[in-house]
Amino acid sequence: MSKRSKMLLAVSMASMMLLSACGGGNNGNSGNAESGANAPANNAAANNTEKEAEPPAEAEPVSLRVFSTFGGTDAARESFQALIDEFTAKYPNVTINNDTMSANDDSFRTKVNTDMNSGNEPDLLFYFVGKDAEGFVNAGKVVPLDELLEADATWKNGYLPTALEAVRQPDGKIYAAPLTGFYEGLFVNKKIFADNGLELPTDWAKMTAAVKALSAKGIIPLSGPFDQSHYLIEHAILSGAGAEGQKSGLANGVNPDWETGLAALKELYDLGAFPKDAATIDLGMAANYYSQGLAAMIIEGSWALGGFEESVRNETTVLPFPTVPGGKGTGKDIVGGFGTGFYLSKKTFDDAKKKDMAIALMKHLTSPDAIKKVSEANGGTPAADVQPEGLGQATLDGFKMAAEATSINAPVDSQIDPETFTTIRAGIQPIVKGEKTPKAALEEAQKIEASKQ
Amino acid sequence: MKGDRKYIFMFLLPAALLMSAFVYYPFLKSLYLSFFRTNGFFDKKFVGFENYTRLFTDSQLGAATLHTLEIMLYVIIFQVGIALVLAVMVDNISKGKGFFRTVFFFPIVISGAAISLLFVLIYNYQFGLLNGFLAKLGIEKILWMSETGSLKAIAVPTVWHYVGFYFVLFLTAMSKIPSDFYEAAKLEGITGFKKTIHITIPLILSDIKVVLILAITGTLKVFDFIWILARGQNGTEVLGTYMYKKAMVDLNFGYGSTIAVYIVVFGVVLSLVTNRLLKKEDITY
Repeated sequence: MSKRSKMLLAVSMASMMLLSACGGGNNGNSGNAESGANAPANNAAANNTEKEAEPPAEAEPVSLRVFSTFGGTDAARESFQALIDEFTAKYPNVTINNDTMSANDDSFRTKVNTDMNSGNEPDLLFYFVGKDAEGFVNAGKVVPLDELLEADATWKNGYLPTALEAVRQPDGKIYAAPLTGFYEGLFVNKKIFADNGLELPTDWAKMTAAVKALSAKGIIPLSGPFDQSHYLIEHAILSGAGAEGQKSGLANGVNPDWETGLAALKELYDLGAFPKDAATIDLGMAANYYSQGLAAMIIEGSWALGGFEESVRNETTVLPFPTVPGGKGTGKDIVGGFGTGFYLSKKTFDDAKKKDMAIALMKHLTSPDAIKKVSEANGGTPAADVQPEGLGQATLDGFKMAAEATSINAPVDSQIDPETFTTIRAGIQPIVKGEKTPKAALEEAQKIEASKQ
Repeated sequence: MKGDRKYIFMFLLPAALLMSAFVYYPFLKSLYLSFFRTNGFFDKKFVGFENYTRLFTDSQLGAATLHTLEIMLYVIIFQVGIALVLAVMVDNISKGKGFFRTVFFFPIVISGAAISLLFVLIYNYQFGLLNGFLAKLGIEKILWMSETGSLKAIAVPTVWHYVGFYFVLFLTAMSKIPSDFYEAAKLEGITGFKKTIHITIPLILSDIKVVLILAITGTLKVFDFIWILARGQNGTEVLGTYMYKKAMVDLNFGYGSTIAVYIVVFGVVLSLVTNRLLKKEDITY
């Protein structure tokens, strides 16, 4: 027995050594391969004569991870990849891991926060500003960009000053370099309205008239899910409470104007505004209904335009969500602004090897030229003073709406705790079905918000 | 025997390390976190039993527990039941056993998420497969994911997905029954249904018990079907999705961990109860 086990031990030891030897060999090989590939690259870099941040002749290989939402079905995916390719062509010693995830999903936030909290920070992170970023900003995981901006006038002056102001955190510093802004609004399929002899929903009476007529004809009037009802809630509350009122938050009790806004959703539901399966579909499916021409309206953001079927996109115009009855909104208040930007992680900033290249990449990705390209792709409002070209009519309508807006507001969910907001989301179905009053639903959310303070 | 000790230890060590890293440590950490009020990832404060107080007054959690139990009922009756029926039938045929075993086992290799996406397209109200079929027949469309029917609709793919697993377990158990039992029965004139009831099932009772415990604890892990098909809406919230929402969507790890602890306790209690209910002398052959 003992002899046998000894033999087993010997065999396992031997195989372990063999395995580890293999591992070592592999490492060695890959290491060689890398340096081999980089050798000509370094030469190329040396030949490269660029004005700014010239790479040292014997540039060390640097690997950067950029985590953003420019992937999957994102309209700007290709433009973004092209920008990255431009950069790596300029600095061949830099390898960029273009890591992406859809922002449509709650798990994007989770992934970012997990990375930030577990020492796995991306070098550059494209993420929301405001409440969403508060955790890792306050924990010092990212560096303020103010000094870097001051030090590089070309970079700073490339920006519209308002865009930079919009991404300032509550502590007064700028952590995120914005790229394009966004607006949200009521996307309307003009063709469906014209075919049914309806007026565009520019005020509440026209809205309800359209909803009634469309739902009688079996067309979904307003596509939107109850669970992922972010945009519905944002617009209902903005329209009910107005630009000032929506900032009141929930910590100090429920603002009755918020109830007015949510009550209007019930009115729409009673008229048959939402898809029959609104309770169980997600945002993607809701957008799909609109994109397929099954729905006449949807509340979405500027980023969604690129995803719609071309025939529907060409018939789309963008309007502000009309003021609900008794609401304090002007009917021209919109949700929008510069809600995202590139963060530079502290870890990268402190890493002498990566620091310069990471900053150079950030500047490259947020140059006026880059901003122009991305906004041409995704229809977002540029953060620099550039004129995007080749935009569709719907995008131009969106810009016009933003230009004529009486106020451009951060979405209400960026001002309250995520759990508070999900509580409101969970209340939407009971509210529209009449199982819960808006007051009760908001009070429930208020309790959660208060417990967070 | 004494000399074996260190080898026992040595061979158990890798498993023990993995279990500690991926089961015990996370569980203890959850237990620890359940005493904190967390605000996102970076801020936590000790609050004692506050999360547990909330747990016992949370009506959503109560609903999620009931929904989990409802799915469990479907799983026990249909998943285990269909698996047993299929196993008995396949065990009784002489040709093509291998074929049926493969076919019935197949759904398990497909990921739950893929099946869920498939069923999203089957159940969809606007252009789903089922409603498309009804429209062809001129019947009015049905809202499959309705407020009362969603959980049942979701139970269908959930049950279907794992029938094959239990089917294979049953079939293996049946193949272990010595053929002399059946020969003796044949001489006595006992065949068909009677044979199944009086010989096959009593002889695989211990396997049925294992399968039931697996099915019950497995139900506590149901997540993908619910999340993708209904996002926990329309009365489909189960413990798994509720915990995920609280911990990952709301970033309230404290309360999320408390729910996780609750799920573990609930699971242990359920399996103990099952064990007690099924306690019977095992028949050996």
